Amino acid sequence: MTVLLAVLVVGAGSLAFRLGPLLGADRLPVAVTRVAGWAGVSMLAAVTVRTVLHHQDPSVPAAPLLGAAAVAVCLLLTARGVSLLLAVAGGGATYLAATALVPF
Amino acid sequence: MSRYVAAALAVRVPAGSSSAGRHPGTGALPDPVPARGSELRAGAAAMAPMLIAYAPFGLLVGAAVAASANPVAAYLATWTIYGGAAHLATLDVLGHGSGWAAAAVVGLLVNVRLSAYATAMAPDWRGTSVARRLVAGVMLTDAPWALARGHAPAGRREYYLGAGGVLFVGWPALVTLGVLAGQWVSALPVAGLLSAMTLGAIVVPQLRERPTAVAVCVAAVTAVLTAGVAAGPALLVAGATGGAAGALTARAGRARRSGGAS
Repeated sequence: MTVLLAVLVVGAGSLAFRLGPLLGADRLPVAVTRVAGWAGVSMLAAVTVRTVLHHQDPSVPAAPLLGAAAVAVCLLLTARGVSLLLAVAGGGATYLAATALVPF
Repeated sequence: MSRYVAAALAVRVPAGSSSAGRHPGTGALPDPVPARGSELRAGAAAMAPMLIAYAPFGLLVGAAVAASANPVAAYLATWTIYGGAAHLATLDVLGHGSGWAAAAVVGLLVNVRLSAYATAMAPDWRGTSVARRLVAGVMLTDAPWALARGHAPAGRREYYLGAGGVLFVGWPALVTLGVLAGQWVSALPVAGLLSAMTLGAIVVPQLRERPTAVAVCVAAVTAVLTAGVAAGPALLVAGATGGAAGALTARAGRARRSGGAS
């Protein structure tokens, strides 16, 4: 019952977050929507940074550093025009190679 | 089969919103009314490879669902919450014995970013039917929004619906797979990084727009400084500082241009 209640409340709230601005789209000032765009991209960047900082891997020391290197490779490849799937594969391969090379 | 794999590998993330409306070489504006079907397909094609990158994350969420005290209710959240991070955070708080209220607050804080996404895409949906806005809202989450933000304004709605539709079908499938066989993914630490790489890779092409670049840099620094804070409040602070930095940079750019013109 506890799980169901939490799931329903978060679901209802999430739906309100999603639909509220869209249903009131005609009344939202353009300036507000532009700032929301920058805020949204900022939160995506923050999610990426937090994931790296909180990365855990008991098989290697300084796992966040290796994670940062892998993500950096992925982002660099994307910036060079490499397709997303290959860029993510490159980042993942960097991580796996680094964990194999770094002595524990 | 190999034709589809090759197409998926060739999909690139669209460029930033400021320049995406123009041809990168000539600066020419694109056709004003692109075919709806082709934009839908383009959005779906852009999302499909991301689904592969999202797979480990979906499997992790599925494993958390299977380990929940009430797996059926936890599985229901795949559609009601429809966001891996909030889903995981809610189940994590519940798993530690906290009550439903604490779990709900944490889940809502993680998902509050969706209101920023919905606000940012509102101009594209002005004048459309309520039914279309409902469909757009229900499938709103990080990747489709970020992909559509980097797309040219013409055809952006259809592009978003194509991308969002693929994820709306694919995400529950991944979670279902995770419920059945997601435990092994926890043993692969690199799996936790793949969704972050995907989101970061969507953002990179948008950094060509100066206010966005400044917003992202400020948000990244804020994320480092708030690393010890719970995810929900930390993301809100990062969004607020990044949004403010973007707005200030845009205002400074306008002032510079008007100063140069006078």
